[in-house]
Amino acid sequence: MGPEPVIEISDLTRRFGGKAALASVSLSLPRGAVYGLVGANGAGKTTLIRHLLGLLRAQSGSVRIFGLDPVADPVGVLSRIGYLSEENDLPGWMTIDELIRYSRAFYPAWDDAYAEELRRAFGLDPGARIRNLSKGQKARAGLLIALAYRPELLVLDEPSSGLDPIVRRDILGAVLRTIAHEGRTVLFSSHLLEEVEQVADHVTMISLGRIVLSGPLSELRESHRVDGRVLSLDEIFVAHVGAAAAPGPET
Amino acid sequence: MRSPAVAIAWEFGRRLRLGLIALAIYAFGVGMTMLFRVQMGWPVSLGHDEDMAALVAVPVTTTFMYFLGVFSFGFASDLTARESTYPARMFALPVSNRALTGWPMLYGTAAMMALLLLSSSFVRWETRGILGRFVLEPWGFDVPALWPAVLAAVFLAWTQALTWMPYGLRGLRVIVAVLWLGMLDAIVFVAIHYEIPESVMIAFLAPQLPIAYLAAWFAVARARRGEVPDWRGMFARFGSTARVRRRRDPFPSHERAQVWFEWRLHGWSLPALVALVLPFELGLLFLARDEPPAMTFYTLLAVLLTPPLMAGFAAATVSKSNPSARDSYGLPPFTATRPLTSAALIAAKVKVTVWSTLVTWLLVLIVIPLGLALSGTLSAVVGQVNEGIDAFGRPRIVVVMLLGLVALMASTWKRLVHSLFLDLSGREWLIKSSVLLALSLLVVIWPIGNWIHDNGNVQVALLNALPWVLGILVCVKIVAAAWIATRLYDGRLLSDRTLVTGAACWLAAVLALYVLLVWFWSTPHVARYFLLLVAILEIPLARLSAAPLALAWNRHR
Repeated sequence: MGPEPVIEISDLTRRFGGKAALASVSLSLPRGAVYGLVGANGAGKTTLIRHLLGLLRAQSGSVRIFGLDPVADPVGVLSRIGYLSEENDLPGWMTIDELIRYSRAFYPAWDDAYAEELRRAFGLDPGARIRNLSKGQKARAGLLIALAYRPELLVLDEPSSGLDPIVRRDILGAVLRTIAHEGRTVLFSSHLLEEVEQVADHVTMISLGRIVLSGPLSELRESHRVDGRVLSLDEIFVAHVGAAAAPGPET
Repeated sequence: MRSPAVAIAWEFGRRLRLGLIALAIYAFGVGMTMLFRVQMGWPVSLGHDEDMAALVAVPVTTTFMYFLGVFSFGFASDLTARESTYPARMFALPVSNRALTGWPMLYGTAAMMALLLLSSSFVRWETRGILGRFVLEPWGFDVPALWPAVLAAVFLAWTQALTWMPYGLRGLRVIVAVLWLGMLDAIVFVAIHYEIPESVMIAFLAPQLPIAYLAAWFAVARARRGEVPDWRGMFARFGSTARVRRRRDPFPSHERAQVWFEWRLHGWSLPALVALVLPFELGLLFLARDEPPAMTFYTLLAVLLTPPLMAGFAAATVSKSNPSARDSYGLPPFTATRPLTSAALIAAKVKVTVWSTLVTWLLVLIVIPLGLALSGTLSAVVGQVNEGIDAFGRPRIVVVMLLGLVALMASTWKRLVHSLFLDLSGREWLIKSSVLLALSLLVVIWPIGNWIHDNGNVQVALLNALPWVLGILVCVKIVAAAWIATRLYDGRLLSDRTLVTGAACWLAAVLALYVLLVWFWSTPHVARYFLLLVAILEIPLARLSAAPLALAWNRHR
């Protein structure tokens, strides 16, 4: 019997009005790897992540994080998760210093030295107000407070949407790799398949609210060959989902 | 849509749709109430000021404020921000600054003038119908025909200009707008007092429209170029010193951190609102010093009632988790993902409302003696208090004054938290429906109140039924509280220990109020059980305890 999975979703269905955002999704993610959740815009990635955080209640099926229900026990789950929101809704009135001071109060494992190291690495001025930061700087500030207490599970919803390619490669890639090496787990969603290919160990593809493919990236590649050539993640996605639903190229 | 003018008009039409539907429902409700009264054989005579207040003043004032919000784009923007509140997306349209400024101002001023002209025609209208039972008489005093409409248009035009202007400091827009529009109001009140002729008023007001247009055009042009003055540097030294000091001082607990967060978001809303109104109210004391002492006491009463009244407005901001978030009714992920229970999030809000109430009253209690002393009306108040001491004794007067103060403070706090259970639900339809329902009830209650006032038999019947009415309300409250407590326990939102402690505190508060009421109204004319029912109804229970339930409903959708 393997270790207890960090995320255990079974038969999760969610409808918004008449539209099924998630349809009978089942997923089990063991500890200590980087999981990429890929899909086109509107595929259901954010809806799935919101269920993991307890922001959406399962209409049918179940969601367990560390074996706990995130709706019934938000404190037990959220205190062990680091989350970077796609919306980047950090309070604009706070300074970076205030954001760090406020956030550290919620996490006993907050590492001041690590937080300071990240702040310097991300080039964030402690006196700067969040509302005055660029989109990329806001994303870095969000990443800082999601990382500084070394959460067991890091959930990043489209983390690279505000970061330039250099920051994405050097900071995001390096940070995610470090976390995985420390035996912690990362789940990040993206519609940029090339980026997922660089960082993720496991890939889950989602389309129209259904999981169409899930498994270790190396196995997916090995099992998708055409004339001996290993297909790229982009090509695998198109093969399973169709060109119409494929994520758009990075612009 | 073939022109920018039509496109902008269409957008305002869409924005106004809900409000106009609400106004139509209101008018329908009023009409049906009148019809019902006539059908029941009760005459309807609309000549009283009170009837007209319900029929005209309430909807006109509400619509006036609604128009201000819609035509200045105020509902969809952060009024305290330095940047212009004019929607930035419209700056990318291929239209001139004149069009961006002129069309919204033209539509807004036309709507305002139409609203005021219609209402002033209504209060002048005289008719008799339906077997002579429906009588509409002109209002008790002479209502000017045209200048209130021009004033409303000018008010809107200046609101647009002042809100679209970029400012150098955060919050400066609110201060400038309140001072400028307050000054405009003050001039008009003085003009009414001295019965200035209509032609003079129009000559004073009408030229302000083109001036306001020029100011608005300048504001839009600056905002479109991205010019936002920055005066924060003047406060940078002080700010950085304060930040360094705070950085060394981490929060001792996450509860304290959340209270700090809530305080920074909403704590100053009520004190700031009251501070904006107080100078105008206390200014009346300077007019009152040459009047009989009653004028001073009316002014003081208005000042003392300001915090509870303003708390009703501040409550709307207290409930919002992030006023500048995309979905300002919903809970933003930043707050929703705090590792705190929903009850702990509510507890932080409630603590902040207590502090906010205390700060507001501290401000009021400092400013009142100052206002009395500077205006020279202090001696009149001291004289009245001394007369009270001579008649009832010093201890009783002191206790009564303290109890009055505590009651006002409690009322202020209660109004801050009483709608949390609705606003924190995050459901726009529920929040807007409750506002509409409250306005509709106001419309129905007013004529019913007048009818009761004019009918002695009904008053007797109502007094006899009052204990039963209170008894039913208490039953409803207790049943609702029991249902909420069950839901809180089943949903693991509150532990059984917290629920029992909360219930015990509520019972203690009810008993304390009951003892106080018995001491205060020690008369055989009022039964003890009646006072107990009043105490049970006065201490918040069901609505306040429903707040964690509402927040959980919002947080876990």
